[in-house]
Amino acid sequence: MPLLLLGIATIVFVVSRLTPADPLVSIVGERNLNNPEVVAAAKQRWGLDESLPVQYAQYMKNLMQGDMGTSFTTRKPVFDDLVDRLPATLELTATAMVIGLVFGIGLGVLAARNRNRFIDHIARFFALIGSSLPAFWAGLLLLYVFYARLGWLPGPGRLDPRATAPDEITGFYTVDALLHGDFGGLRAALAHLILPASVLGWGVVGIVSRLVRASLLDEFSMEYVRVARAMGLRERTVVNSHALRNALLPTITIVAFTFAFLLTGAVLTETVFSWPGVGSYAVESSRNLDFPAIIGVTILGGFAFLMTNLVTDVIYAFADPRIRLT
Amino acid sequence: MTAVETTPFRSRRRSPAWLRGPALVGVITLVLWVLVAVTLPWWSPSDPLEQVADRLLGPSFSHLMGTDALGRDVFVRALWGARISLPVAAIVIVSSVMIGTIVGAIAGFFGGWIDSVLMRAVDITMAFPPILLAMAITASLGPGIGNALIAMVLVWWPIYARLLRAQVIAVKQREYVESAHAIGASRWLILRRYILPMSYTPVLVNATMDFGQVVLLTASLSFIGLGARPPSPEWGAMITEGATNFYQWWIAAAAGIAIFLVVLAFNFVGDGLRDTFDVKDLGDIKDRN
Amino acid sequence: MIALGLITGLLVAACGSDDASPDAGTPDGSVSSSQATDDATGDSAGGGSETALVIARGMDVNSLDPQRAYCDTCQIFMTAVYETLIGLDVDNTTLVPRLATAWESNADQTEFTFTLDPTATFADGSPVMSADVKFSWERQQGLQGSASYLVGSIASIETPNDATVKVTLTAPNSAFLAQVNAPYLGIVNQELAEAHGATADPETDTAEEWFLSNSAGSGPFTLAAYTAGSELRLARNEAYWGAAPAFPEVLIKETPQAVSQRQQLEQGAVDIAMQLSADVADGLGGDDLVIEQVPSFNYVYLALSPGAVGGEQLSPEVREAIRLALDYEGLIDATVGGAGRAQASPIPNGFAGTDGLAVPAQDLDAAKQLLADAGITELTLDATYPSLNVYGVDFSTAMQKVQTDLQEVGIQLELNPVEIAVWAEQIGADGIPVTMLYFAPDHTDSSQYVQYFGLMEGTQWQGWSKADANPAEAPLLDQAFAAQDATERAALYSQLAEAMIADQIIIPVVNPDLFLASRSNITGVRYSACCNLVLAELGRS
Repeated sequence: MPLLLLGIATIVFVVSRLTPADPLVSIVGERNLNNPEVVAAAKQRWGLDESLPVQYAQYMKNLMQGDMGTSFTTRKPVFDDLVDRLPATLELTATAMVIGLVFGIGLGVLAARNRNRFIDHIARFFALIGSSLPAFWAGLLLLYVFYARLGWLPGPGRLDPRATAPDEITGFYTVDALLHGDFGGLRAALAHLILPASVLGWGVVGIVSRLVRASLLDEFSMEYVRVARAMGLRERTVVNSHALRNALLPTITIVAFTFAFLLTGAVLTETVFSWPGVGSYAVESSRNLDFPAIIGVTILGGFAFLMTNLVTDVIYAFADPRIRLT
Repeated sequence: MTAVETTPFRSRRRSPAWLRGPALVGVITLVLWVLVAVTLPWWSPSDPLEQVADRLLGPSFSHLMGTDALGRDVFVRALWGARISLPVAAIVIVSSVMIGTIVGAIAGFFGGWIDSVLMRAVDITMAFPPILLAMAITASLGPGIGNALIAMVLVWWPIYARLLRAQVIAVKQREYVESAHAIGASRWLILRRYILPMSYTPVLVNATMDFGQVVLLTASLSFIGLGARPPSPEWGAMITEGATNFYQWWIAAAAGIAIFLVVLAFNFVGDGLRDTFDVKDLGDIKDRN
Repeated sequence: MIALGLITGLLVAACGSDDASPDAGTPDGSVSSSQATDDATGDSAGGGSETALVIARGMDVNSLDPQRAYCDTCQIFMTAVYETLIGLDVDNTTLVPRLATAWESNADQTEFTFTLDPTATFADGSPVMSADVKFSWERQQGLQGSASYLVGSIASIETPNDATVKVTLTAPNSAFLAQVNAPYLGIVNQELAEAHGATADPETDTAEEWFLSNSAGSGPFTLAAYTAGSELRLARNEAYWGAAPAFPEVLIKETPQAVSQRQQLEQGAVDIAMQLSADVADGLGGDDLVIEQVPSFNYVYLALSPGAVGGEQLSPEVREAIRLALDYEGLIDATVGGAGRAQASPIPNGFAGTDGLAVPAQDLDAAKQLLADAGITELTLDATYPSLNVYGVDFSTAMQKVQTDLQEVGIQLELNPVEIAVWAEQIGADGIPVTMLYFAPDHTDSSQYVQYFGLMEGTQWQGWSKADANPAEAPLLDQAFAAQDATERAALYSQLAEAMIADQIIIPVVNPDLFLASRSNITGVRYSACCNLVLAELGRS
């Protein structure tokens, strides 16, 4: 694990130094590039005048202390930028996760109960659409229809331009508004979440529904379900209180994996919806060749992936006693 | 836990069991797209880079998906986009499979420190969300479809390396391989003749499913501005233009539908293949072997 | 013409009006509409509105340090938060007192003396004194920020007493008062700035970060908060020494897409949007919206760099051929839907010296002939450009049109859109053979265009294009600076404009109209030639 983290940091550092472009401009301004004094001062201040190995050692040392350097574009510590933007991404991802799970489980149950019938195929098709639609176009389309044309839902961003964010407790606008008893704010925050979270969540519906369907079908073939059915219990009772409960166990284990998937999808969704999260930060920084920011956000992504894998392993271990963590 | 259950090698030559329902629709769609991509220069109604009418016209009979900000036929451009996305995805997949096969086979076959070193590289690469790493690499190499392609190969090969390694290790234990070894067949010969042929199926299935994902990733990188350069009718780039001309929904829609059709077709085919061959999803083999 | 709900903008005859400003060579066409003019003084802005004013805008902020900032949004910010010694009246021509109550110069315009308003105070209550002026301008010189060319002619600043500033220039400069009017020469509170690390030396100065969340000016607003990529929040300076602005708070929300700006304006989420393109503004209207289409001094240009790596074949003949190959009408149509004008020289329509200049026209045969004579059959050029959307012009659209036009004469462009920071790095190092950029005036004098675009030692485009200097330009500019008479000055700038046209480095593509859209209860919205949008003049009725 620590080795993997070190590897991640190293790879990102190497990758970012492949670039032919020079980040100096964003520091000193374009009119100053011909001014050697200003350029030298900036280089020294940002550590760009050292050799690559020295830069690397310095970078690693700083990283150990949670210091990811200062972003060339925002001129703030990358770590602070990420902390600032993480709640927005987490709120979006969590909402998308809820949407993905609700619809995924619903579709999965529907499909399993109507196995190989028309409704099964429809459910499957619906799920496949989700993973085939380019999120960035789906987002534009939804914005065009529900925001620009119909005016039913608010546009890009987390809140209306005029609104101010609730005082920060968790950084989740919905939760914070609720904690402050600000129901208008809660409604506004939720309204802004609907479109991006749906776009993001739809991609997960397929994964969840497929898994729920498969494990439900496994359960249906089990003795106890047959017995319950033979005893004349209603199909709904059988599914809801017996089979589904057991079938959900393996589903929980993919939640973590799905979360990592969502974090990836957030990059494009946030860009389309001007969502001020980590994903749009990643896009802005790679467009601007903002090395510290690119490094920081990619490490965060790798870290999130690692953590979710770890969590998945732990859940697996709890869910299935046959597997032991080594 | 073994990553991929070994698939018993069955001849599928006579009965393509997977080729029905959605998978069949998928194959037909893909064949049509490839045909369009290959033959387009001979029958294209207009040059995708040429102004053919007034700018920003809505869909009409003469211009099925209207025109863009420069008066180019959007439908024609979307068709030409296939000549970029399909080859790019093919190159990415083929290169990744080749690199991954070689690395995975070497690691699995030789084991020991070679295995450790190679697999650590794989682990580290796979520890990143693909799009983030691809963005970082493309940004560093400089934006452009060529560099985006390189970045995607760098991001994608470890998947196949891991797949192949698991496969090789599983096959290696088989009796006939051990006996071949016993009668003095060279390692390379065994690898080439016995082990690699066994591994085609899971690689093929995964490659099919990944193809659509690479098409999506190519478009995503272009959408962000790191991929294709104008005036290329690349689909992701067209959607960016569509975002600028938001009220002219048809510009983004043409490219969006094109991507959707291609990716959906690959998903149909991949789904059919997976169900038939019972190859595990990559999500399940990630980070455990 | 597009069907706009309510066009109050006067399409002023851009050329041909008199150039009668006594103080400085100023642009002639006035661009303020009659409606805007009525409301546009600071005093009448008091609409008594207590809710915040919200502006949707794609911000290009490079810094909020008053001596480092240089961007279109910075013009708005600087005007609201920091005050200049001299202001510009709503006619975009007349210089009016601001921090200085009076100013005078010697006969050959090498010495200027300003008398400061004794009642002027900074937001923290301390008086604005001559030392603050000296500190601000010397820091502007020392930090060598992008706007430092404005103080390039200053040799020394003396402060004989707290209310008097005496500036000595290195050479006659008839444009100096106009330069002083540029928002970038706003005055900063020396004591406060120094307490947070401000010095005039880039090696020791550490104040830039502090300025991202604080301000030290005397203007009607103070900086409340800034979040890059999100919002710029200004609060009313409750201790303002002049007439208090109407809005207690002004919020500029990062809204890069013109479409989003329109949507939010239509839905009442924002009060002002001023970066709409003609396509997006099309069909916008209704009782509760006001949209003005006004001519602007902004423009987008194509730049050719013979000295850039890969630009070696851009001889004067080839550059002339490129100029002749462009379809200017088509470009104006493709970029701004026809809502703009062609522009003859790097000095934009309406500034002194632009009367009677011939607008370029496409001539493919002549272009082909020039290339054939130069022995060029095939030419491929790198065209890296910033992926911007400025003044309603999408650079990608414009460059693709340029690419198509040049293909007609056998010149291939390799288009490569990049972020502005990446672009700036490349043009500063190797240069870029063919590229595109924009310019908005910093003040009202034509000299800024010669100082930025002319092929003279030290100008921006001389450095970027690495073209041979044009020895005729520097003496002409010196003459223009020394000229006492406005007509004489205009004649000299006209010669300079012709010289820059002949340089064939800068080829203006389009001078777009500005679409100023606002909720109809907002008063005082106008386009200012120096300052973009003057927040203190705005009110809600």
